[in-house]
Amino acid sequence: MARYIVRRLLGMVLLLILVSAVTFVIFNVFPSTDPAALRAGRQPTPEVIEAIRRDLGLDRPKIVQFGDYIWDVFAHQDFGKSYVANVEVLSQIRENLPATISLTIGGVLVWLTFGLSVGIISAVKHRSILDRATIGLSLIAISAPVYWLGLVALYLFAPDFGVFGLGFLGGQGSYVPFSEDPLKWAQSLILPWCVLATAFAAVYARLLRGSLLDVMGEDYIRTARAKGLAERSVILKHGVRSAITPVVTVLGLDIGILLGGAILTESVFNIPGIGRLAYDAITRGDLPIVQGTVLFGAFFIIIMNLIVDVLYAFLDPRVRY
Amino acid sequence: MPLLEVRDLRVQFETDDGIVRAVDGVSYSVEEGRSLGIVGESGSGKSVTNLTVLGLTRARNSKFSGEVIFGGRDLLKLSEDELREVRGEEIAMIFQDPLSSLHPFYRVGEQLIEAVRAHHDVSKKAARGRAVEMLQLVNIPEPRSRVDAWPHEFSGGMRQRAMIAMALINSPKLLIADEPTTALDVTVQAQILELIERLQSETGTAVIMITHDLGVVAEMTHEIAVMYAGRIVERAPTKELFASPQHPYTWGLLRSIPRLDSPRNEELVPIDGRPPSLITRPPGCAFHPRCPFVREAHKRIDPELEPVDGRRDHDVACLLSQQTRADLWQHLAAGEAPARARAAVPLGEGAE
Amino acid sequence: MSRSLLKTLLALAALVALLGLGACGGDDDEGTDQGGTPAQTEEGGGNVTEQLFAGSAADNRANPAEGGKKGGKLTVLSAGDVDYMDPQKTYYTYAIGVINMIHRGLYAYLPGDTSKAVPDLADGDPDISDDGKTVTVKLKKGVMFSAPVKREVTSKDVKYGVERAFTANVANGYARVYAGDLEGAPKDPGPYKEIPGIQTPDDYTLVFKLTKGTGAALAGMLAMPVSVPVPKEYAQKYDKENPSTYGEGHAVYTGPYMVESDAQGKATGYVPGKRIHIVRNPDYAPVDDFRPAFLDEVDIQAGNEDTAVATRRILSGESLASGEIEPPANQLKRLLQSNKSELSVVPGGGWRMISMDNSRPPFDDINVRKAVLAGFDRVAARQQRGGEALGPIAQHLIPPGMAGFEESNSEKGWVDEMDWLAHPEGDRKLSAEYFKKAGMSSGKYEGSEELLIVGDNAEPDKSISQITEQQLNEMGFKTTLRLVTRDTMFTKFCNVPKSEVNVCPSVGWAQDFADPQTMLDPTFNGENIVETQNSNWPEMDVPEINKEIDDAKLVVDPAERAKAWAKVNHDIMAQAPSIPYMWDYQAVVCSPNVRGVQSGYSTTWDWNFMSLK
Repeated sequence: MARYIVRRLLGMVLLLILVSAVTFVIFNVFPSTDPAALRAGRQPTPEVIEAIRRDLGLDRPKIVQFGDYIWDVFAHQDFGKSYVANVEVLSQIRENLPATISLTIGGVLVWLTFGLSVGIISAVKHRSILDRATIGLSLIAISAPVYWLGLVALYLFAPDFGVFGLGFLGGQGSYVPFSEDPLKWAQSLILPWCVLATAFAAVYARLLRGSLLDVMGEDYIRTARAKGLAERSVILKHGVRSAITPVVTVLGLDIGILLGGAILTESVFNIPGIGRLAYDAITRGDLPIVQGTVLFGAFFIIIMNLIVDVLYAFLDPRVRY
Repeated sequence: MPLLEVRDLRVQFETDDGIVRAVDGVSYSVEEGRSLGIVGESGSGKSVTNLTVLGLTRARNSKFSGEVIFGGRDLLKLSEDELREVRGEEIAMIFQDPLSSLHPFYRVGEQLIEAVRAHHDVSKKAARGRAVEMLQLVNIPEPRSRVDAWPHEFSGGMRQRAMIAMALINSPKLLIADEPTTALDVTVQAQILELIERLQSETGTAVIMITHDLGVVAEMTHEIAVMYAGRIVERAPTKELFASPQHPYTWGLLRSIPRLDSPRNEELVPIDGRPPSLITRPPGCAFHPRCPFVREAHKRIDPELEPVDGRRDHDVACLLSQQTRADLWQHLAAGEAPARARAAVPLGEGAE
Repeated sequence: MSRSLLKTLLALAALVALLGLGACGGDDDEGTDQGGTPAQTEEGGGNVTEQLFAGSAADNRANPAEGGKKGGKLTVLSAGDVDYMDPQKTYYTYAIGVINMIHRGLYAYLPGDTSKAVPDLADGDPDISDDGKTVTVKLKKGVMFSAPVKREVTSKDVKYGVERAFTANVANGYARVYAGDLEGAPKDPGPYKEIPGIQTPDDYTLVFKLTKGTGAALAGMLAMPVSVPVPKEYAQKYDKENPSTYGEGHAVYTGPYMVESDAQGKATGYVPGKRIHIVRNPDYAPVDDFRPAFLDEVDIQAGNEDTAVATRRILSGESLASGEIEPPANQLKRLLQSNKSELSVVPGGGWRMISMDNSRPPFDDINVRKAVLAGFDRVAARQQRGGEALGPIAQHLIPPGMAGFEESNSEKGWVDEMDWLAHPEGDRKLSAEYFKKAGMSSGKYEGSEELLIVGDNAEPDKSISQITEQQLNEMGFKTTLRLVTRDTMFTKFCNVPKSEVNVCPSVGWAQDFADPQTMLDPTFNGENIVETQNSNWPEMDVPEINKEIDDAKLVVDPAERAKAWAKVNHDIMAQAPSIPYMWDYQAVVCSPNVRGVQSGYSTTWDWNFMSLK
């Protein structure tokens, strides 16, 4: 198992370099913004632009630029400085990361709570009205675009201007870090958590429902009943325990993707997370920040993938690495 | 008083294709400490019958009638909670595929402990001790370490032993074994059967052995019931059944077993055709489409289960006359093909 | 009904709801980096936009310091952030509006009259010699730097401010353009060098000496924050960093406000990309300052991308105001009815244009250009930006309120003489006549080249680009339209002559300060065509006009200068180089309990004059 993990980690490094290269090519080689020109003001002389280009190190061959970047990242944890603001990429990312983590973790808890319980109840009461209603509503929840959902939520519930303004909610842009004020932190995130969780809860409900329906037809469920176990034990201890494994796999991937930045949710609710950071950087051609956020996003996905695979071995004892 | 008495049990399932009469009027009984074999093809209703005893076929689309009397109570009328107390404690069941019948994500010991603590308020330690005891009883080597093994780490035979251990851990009065050896190697089969036999005599547990293989029940049962199309078509003490089988289906089963002492080039005689649909039973005798000795009347008249002449404990549901059957069997037992036997024995007109 | 039918209907209902609510989501916000603000005409009336907004908060600019209560906190909602908080680095009018709260430069603009800057740190107007080679400015006495410097501001500090603007670590974007003729000014950005052309005969006098007579431009530039004083002995250690860290974290302040700082003096109130927290400056010396500084605190929050939501928050909330956002154009008509007193409109200080490349066929032929201008429906283009509510049709290149505007016949321009400008809704018959003059007898373009049009893919420029393509097609041109991000459009296409783009529909220009040179020189002087970051999009290079422009730069007397530039304006328009379509304004909103006073320069509210009712 240890060897397996080491192999995967090495593979991760290679993959991150590859991802970095692709990002680099997209932003550096294909026609895009010229950062030196962007910073040069409205009426620069060619000398000024050249000076800026030299300053940013953009006059060196692309391979050299890329090589230096990779070396700095892996050897010195130096992700460079933003072209636009005078800040280090790593510190920007570190500053924005807690908001994204807060949003993700909270969202995960909300959608697991609702999605899993609805999924289990649906499967157990297979074909009842409740089950059919779940399927129908989940279809709508999955189809609704997050941004629209966010706007509707604000329109209805925003504390300052919503139709049913709920006072205990934090308004748009009211995010404060947990360390600063836990209560306000929570208040600012309640609505975003619900909006983010809606589509996911529906997906997970359907996923668990399907998985559980399959599992409940297995022989060992029959054995469990034949042993005289209480039905709740049969469903939870025997049924859900088996049915949960595909859910765990998907959950890991979803967490990895969200940690890379839930751009839409962060935009609607004005939460200063990684997604917003990336979006702003992309529109301003701020390559170092874009590369940094892409690398972090890729890193989270790869790590979560690895964690999920390792977790699988603990969940299913038949799996051996 | 028999330990278990099933009276005129009927089980129906409503499906999109129609009503499936899985069990169509089955009656049998098992005495304490005795063993009954129920033999039949898949689709004969043998499994459903016994699953129904434990209430494991209850569903929105199932209907029951008849009685299942156990310990003075009609199990069909018990609530889920009351049935739960019976399952695993007074009546236990083991199934065909021990690998899929054990939960792959829990250790063997945990599953045994679970069975104990579902019915008895004991500490985990005590239950674990009992689990080790049972594993020892079923001859699993090194039970103290094996108790923590995963199901997939056991061989097929050991798994079935573990299942048996789990079934008997609460000393039930009745063990229902649904095709326990079908998925196993022949040599392992013998071991398991031997085990069950031994346990039965040691613990005094009654056993119902369900199988499609007459060979399996030949040694270890006191009585055999042959089921076809949801009904019992013949019932007799084991020795009697092998000595003097009465139903053409039984003959088919017996003839289709290869025997060690038959000539090498002797062909096996399968039973022609396939089991009937339980939604639309053939009219008349359910077996008539496949019976080599069918008469016109058999296509219209449905035979009842009736005692064989001169015996109290042997019943058969067949329209052929006693004499005809005896003669036919003589030919068949000698190794003749059914066609020849039929030609040799005058069947007479009509039914009797 | 059957299950599947029910499911389908449910899904359809959801879809309809989705589309319906999505439509009220409102427009995209178009970013604008327009420069300063020309004055609005003083008498009542004004152009069509100003008339529409009469009775709104725009009226407050006539008496900006009255009626405001002292105290309170204002929260400002912006989408983007400032470019820099360093006075010599920033080149963005929105940022300059913030800088103006915390730093005093030599000159500044008041909310009402923006055709002329008023003295701030300076004690009186700049004195420009007749030959334009010397500019003398006197300083007020007693203005103080905040902690930890805590001493009086002197002329040497203004000198250092200008000098640092030329260094590579600060890299000011406009100093070289307007002050490049200073004696001893470095030609290229590099390490710190003293500029002998900036003389400080005493602590309160500055003398700028130039090698050429462009003193009027330099004097105009002093209204921009390059003239903010910076204490050399304190700032040099920060200016040694590349880029300099002075402005973002360690500035000292001369204005009534400052960026919230911690005990060590680090500006913790500025979180790049997120927030600027402005509080009162305890070391402020209110020496002859036009700033009433009513508010105690201003909290500027970036990240409000959705302008419809932000507008709603502002109008239904308390003590909020729009910063770097505008209410969606399609809501303006409604807001003018329902929320007039919370609304105002601010001149954008420039024009929007659809440029044509004059250096290559087909637009190298003046008759073809006239034909296109005559037939083009400029009203339709303007409609995409909000119609007449947000600006009059631009008939020439000097925006309303700027010196030279009235000399250019104000809104009317020279339409009597230049008939191709007379019908902004498009006159296809006149257009046909000009095509015929160009030798195309069918009255439409007959050539076969495929024109490359490159536009901004964000609304409303996207629609305007599409309208442009459609109109050109109708006039017989074959076209290819490429829509890209704004930054790409500028840095890889429209600002790069080599990319050979024929039409750029998404360009515009705004003043740096209130002088027509800033509107016409970079944009139509053939000598200013550069390889990258070119702003002379028509690539106009007419030697006579180039000379006129260079001559006009040297005119010192304000009245003469206005006339000279009006003539340049006329001669450029006579060439029909491109299609200007709008002198645009921007709408701003505030909460009902806020007394809104708009800025004369920063195209948003003027924070120094805002107050709570």
